[in-house]
Amino acid sequence: MVYIASWDDFVEKSVQLFRADPEKTRYAMKYRHCDGNLVLKVTDDKECIKFKTDQSQDAKKMEKFNNIFFTMMARGPEVADKRRAGFQPNSFGLQKNFG
Amino acid sequence: MVISQLSVNVDYVRLQPDPFLNELTSMFERTTEKGSVWVTLKHSSNKSKVQRNKMKTAGEKVEYRCLIRATDGKKTISTLVGPKDHQRFQSSYATILKARMTALKKRERKDKRKATDSSDKKQVPKKRSSAAKKISN
Repeated sequence: MVYIASWDDFVEKSVQLFRADPEKTRYAMKYRHCDGNLVLKVTDDKECIKFKTDQSQDAKKMEKFNNIFFTMMARGPEVADKRRAGFQPNSFGLQKNFG
Repeated sequence: MVISQLSVNVDYVRLQPDPFLNELTSMFERTTEKGSVWVTLKHSSNKSKVQRNKMKTAGEKVEYRCLIRATDGKKTISTLVGPKDHQRFQSSYATILKARMTALKKRERKDKRKATDSSDKKQVPKKRSSAAKKISN
Protein backbone atom coordinates (compact mmCIF):
# COMPACT_ATOMS: atom_id res chain seq x y z
CA MET A 1 0.00 0.00 0.00
CA VAL A 2 1.26 3.38 -0.91
CA TYR A 3 1.56 6.02 1.74
CA ILE A 4 0.24 9.47 1.02
CA ALA A 5 2.96 12.05 1.38
CA SER A 6 0.89 15.16 1.90
CA TRP A 7 -0.97 15.53 5.18
CA ASP A 8 -3.67 17.74 3.71
CA ASP A 9 -4.37 15.22 0.96
CA PHE A 10 -4.60 12.48 3.54
CA VAL A 11 -7.14 14.40 5.62
CA GLU A 12 -9.24 15.33 2.62
CA LYS A 13 -9.33 11.82 1.18
CA SER A 14 -10.08 10.26 4.55
CA VAL A 15 -13.04 12.51 5.17
CA GLN A 16 -14.34 11.83 1.67
CA LEU A 17 -14.04 8.11 2.20
CA PHE A 18 -15.93 8.28 5.46
CA ARG A 19 -18.68 10.42 3.95
CA ALA A 20 -19.10 7.99 1.10
CA ASP A 21 -19.69 5.04 3.40
CA PRO A 22 -19.91 5.87 7.10
CA GLU A 23 -20.96 2.37 8.11
CA LYS A 24 -17.97 0.62 6.60
CA THR A 25 -15.20 3.13 7.01
CA ARG A 26 -12.85 2.81 9.95
CA TYR A 27 -9.87 4.81 11.07
CA ALA A 28 -6.95 3.09 12.70
CA MET A 29 -3.72 4.38 14.09
CA LYS A 30 -0.69 2.37 14.97
CA TYR A 31 2.02 3.65 17.23
CA ARG A 32 5.30 1.87 17.63
CA HIS A 33 7.37 3.30 20.42
CA CYS A 34 10.53 1.27 19.89
CA ASP A 35 10.81 2.40 16.27
CA GLY A 36 9.35 5.82 16.97
CA ASN A 37 6.82 5.81 14.21
CA LEU A 38 3.16 6.39 13.72
CA VAL A 39 0.89 5.10 10.97
CA LEU A 40 -2.61 6.33 10.29
CA LYS A 41 -4.93 4.33 8.14
CA VAL A 42 -8.44 4.91 6.87
CA THR A 43 -10.18 2.22 4.91
CA ASP A 44 -13.59 1.00 3.79
CA ASP A 45 -12.14 -2.39 2.75
CA LYS A 46 -12.10 -1.30 -0.88
CA GLU A 47 -9.89 1.71 -0.69
CA CYS A 48 -7.11 2.21 1.78
CA ILE A 49 -5.43 5.45 2.66
CA LYS A 50 -2.34 5.54 4.80
CA PHE A 51 -0.01 8.09 6.26
CA LYS A 52 3.24 7.35 7.98
CA THR A 53 5.44 9.62 10.03
CA ASP A 54 8.15 9.78 12.65
CA GLN A 55 7.72 13.47 13.44
CA SER A 56 6.16 14.66 16.67
CA GLN A 57 4.59 17.64 14.99
CA ASP A 58 2.51 15.26 12.88
CA ALA A 59 1.15 13.86 16.13
CA LYS A 60 -0.20 17.31 16.83
CA LYS A 61 -1.90 17.36 13.46
CA MET A 62 -3.28 13.94 14.25
CA GLU A 63 -5.00 15.40 17.31
CA LYS A 64 -7.10 17.63 15.09
CA PHE A 65 -7.73 14.75 12.76
CA ASN A 66 -8.88 12.64 15.71
CA ASN A 67 -11.27 15.38 16.74
CA ILE A 68 -12.79 15.49 13.28
CA PHE A 69 -13.27 11.74 13.25
CA PHE A 70 -14.58 11.48 16.80
CA THR A 71 -17.12 14.15 15.98
CA MET A 72 -18.15 12.62 12.68
CA MET A 73 -18.41 9.15 14.13
CA ALA A 74 -20.12 9.97 17.40
CA ARG A 75 -22.55 12.50 16.00
CA GLY A 76 -22.92 11.36 12.43
CA PRO A 77 -21.38 12.98 9.37
CA GLU A 78 -24.27 15.43 8.85
CA VAL A 79 -23.97 17.02 12.27
CA ALA A 80 -20.24 17.27 11.90
CA ASP A 81 -20.76 19.14 8.65
CA LYS A 82 -22.66 21.92 10.32
CA ARG A 83 -20.03 22.33 12.95
CA ARG A 84 -17.08 22.07 10.70
CA ALA A 85 -16.75 25.67 9.65
CA GLY A 86 -16.13 27.01 13.12
CA PHE A 87 -14.57 23.87 14.41
CA GLN A 88 -12.14 24.26 17.23
CA PRO A 89 -10.43 21.28 18.74
CA ASN A 90 -10.67 20.88 22.50
CA SER A 91 -13.34 23.50 22.91
CA PHE A 92 -15.95 22.60 25.41
CA GLY A 93 -19.51 23.65 25.89
CA LEU A 94 -20.38 23.62 22.22
CA GLN A 95 -24.04 23.89 21.45
CA LYS A 96 -25.65 20.72 20.35
CA ASN A 97 -27.76 21.15 17.31
CA PHE A 98 -29.51 18.00 16.36
CA GLY A 99 -31.70 18.33 13.32
CA MET B 1 -29.53 -14.62 21.52
CA VAL B 2 -28.22 -12.36 18.84
CA ILE B 3 -24.54 -11.65 19.07
CA SER B 4 -23.58 -8.41 17.46
CA GLN B 5 -21.43 -8.63 14.37
CA LEU B 6 -18.76 -6.57 15.96
CA SER B 7 -18.03 -8.97 18.75
CA VAL B 8 -17.92 -12.01 16.51
CA ASN B 9 -14.59 -11.27 14.91
CA VAL B 10 -12.48 -10.72 17.99
CA ASP B 11 -13.65 -10.56 21.55
CA TYR B 12 -12.97 -6.99 22.41
CA VAL B 13 -13.67 -6.54 26.09
CA ARG B 14 -16.22 -3.77 26.29
CA LEU B 15 -15.33 -1.17 28.88
CA GLN B 16 -16.66 2.16 30.06
CA PRO B 17 -14.71 5.12 28.62
CA ASP B 18 -12.64 5.82 31.73
CA PRO B 19 -11.44 2.27 32.41
CA PHE B 20 -10.76 2.05 28.70
CA LEU B 21 -8.44 5.05 28.85
CA ASN B 22 -6.66 3.61 31.87
CA GLU B 23 -6.13 0.32 30.12
CA LEU B 24 -4.96 2.14 27.00
CA THR B 25 -2.37 3.97 29.07
CA SER B 26 -0.99 0.71 30.41
CA MET B 27 -0.88 -0.68 26.87
CA PHE B 28 1.36 2.20 25.89
CA GLU B 29 3.50 1.52 28.94
CA ARG B 30 3.81 -2.18 28.13
CA THR B 31 4.93 -1.56 24.55
CA THR B 32 7.79 0.84 25.08
CA GLU B 33 10.46 -1.84 24.65
CA LYS B 34 8.85 -3.70 21.79
CA GLY B 35 5.48 -4.00 20.13
CA SER B 36 2.86 -1.59 18.88
CA VAL B 37 -0.48 -0.19 19.95
CA TRP B 38 -3.40 -0.02 17.54
CA VAL B 39 -6.41 2.18 18.09
CA THR B 40 -9.35 1.95 15.71
CA LEU B 41 -12.34 4.25 15.43
CA LYS B 42 -15.57 3.22 13.81
CA HIS B 43 -19.02 4.64 13.29
CA SER B 44 -21.15 1.98 14.86
CA SER B 45 -24.71 1.30 15.92
CA ASN B 46 -23.60 -1.75 17.87
CA LYS B 47 -26.28 -3.70 16.06
CA SER B 48 -26.12 -6.33 13.37
CA LYS B 49 -27.01 -5.51 9.81
CA VAL B 50 -30.19 -7.58 10.13
CA GLN B 51 -31.25 -5.62 13.18
CA ARG B 52 -30.47 -2.34 11.45
CA ASN B 53 -32.52 -3.27 8.43
CA LYS B 54 -35.40 -4.31 10.65
CA MET B 55 -35.30 -1.01 12.42
CA LYS B 56 -35.11 0.90 9.19
CA THR B 57 -38.12 -0.86 7.70
CA ALA B 58 -39.99 -0.28 10.94
CA GLY B 59 -39.17 3.40 10.60
CA GLU B 60 -37.08 3.50 13.75
CA LYS B 61 -34.05 5.69 13.89
CA VAL B 62 -30.82 3.77 14.21
CA GLU B 63 -28.55 5.43 16.73
CA TYR B 64 -24.90 5.59 15.93
CA ARG B 65 -22.01 6.07 18.24
CA CYS B 66 -18.28 5.95 17.97
CA LEU B 67 -16.75 2.57 18.69
CA ILE B 68 -13.13 2.69 19.81
CA ARG B 69 -11.06 -0.44 19.91
CA ALA B 70 -7.51 -0.79 21.09
CA THR B 71 -5.04 -3.63 21.07
CA ASP B 72 -1.39 -4.27 21.75
CA GLY B 73 -1.53 -7.58 19.95
CA LYS B 74 -2.27 -9.53 23.12
CA LYS B 75 -5.10 -7.81 24.86
CA THR B 76 -8.03 -6.16 23.15
CA ILE B 77 -10.40 -3.61 24.62
CA SER B 78 -13.20 -1.47 23.29
CA THR B 79 -15.58 1.26 24.32
CA LEU B 80 -18.43 3.29 22.89
CA VAL B 81 -18.76 7.04 23.06
CA GLY B 82 -21.85 8.94 22.00
CA PRO B 83 -22.62 12.57 21.18
CA LYS B 84 -22.71 13.47 24.89
CA ASP B 85 -19.34 12.21 25.96
CA HIS B 86 -17.09 12.19 22.89
CA GLN B 87 -15.62 15.61 23.59
CA ARG B 88 -14.53 14.71 27.07
CA PHE B 89 -13.22 11.40 25.82
CA GLN B 90 -11.26 12.85 22.96
CA SER B 91 -9.53 15.40 25.13
CA SER B 92 -8.47 12.72 27.64
CA TYR B 93 -7.39 10.57 24.72
CA ALA B 94 -5.32 13.42 23.29
CA THR B 95 -3.67 13.92 26.67
CA ILE B 96 -2.68 10.27 26.83
CA LEU B 97 -1.28 10.33 23.32
CA LYS B 98 0.70 13.45 24.06
CA ALA B 99 2.17 11.89 27.18
CA ARG B 100 2.96 8.51 25.59
CA MET B 101 4.06 9.30 22.06
CA THR B 102 7.44 10.50 23.09
CA ALA B 103 9.53 8.50 20.66
CA LEU B 104 8.65 10.68 17.71
CA LYS B 105 11.26 13.08 16.46
CA LYS B 106 11.16 16.70 17.38
CA ARG B 107 10.97 19.29 14.71
CA GLU B 108 14.18 19.80 12.84
CA ARG B 109 15.30 23.34 12.38
CA LYS B 110 16.93 23.03 9.02
CA ASP B 111 14.57 21.61 6.46
CA LYS B 112 15.32 18.16 5.33
CA ARG B 113 11.61 17.91 5.49
CA LYS B 114 9.01 17.06 2.94
CA ALA B 115 6.31 19.40 1.78
CA THR B 116 3.99 18.11 4.50
CA ASP B 117 4.26 21.25 6.55
CA SER B 118 4.22 23.77 3.75
CA SER B 119 1.05 25.13 5.30
CA ASP B 120 2.87 25.92 8.52
CA LYS B 121 4.13 29.34 9.16
CA LYS B 122 7.61 29.80 7.97
CA GLN B 123 9.98 30.48 10.73
CA VAL B 124 11.28 33.94 10.42
CA PRO B 125 14.90 33.97 11.35
CA LYS B 126 15.43 36.41 14.14
CA LYS B 127 17.60 39.29 13.31
CA ARG B 128 20.41 39.39 15.68
CA SER B 129 20.67 43.10 15.83
CA SER B 130 21.97 43.02 19.37
CA ALA B 131 24.64 40.62 18.33
CA ALA B 132 25.76 42.78 15.50
CA LYS B 133 29.41 43.17 15.81
CA LYS B 134 30.73 46.51 16.58
CA ILE B 135 33.26 47.28 14.05
CA SER B 136 35.93 49.27 15.68
CA ASN B 137 37.88 51.20 13.23
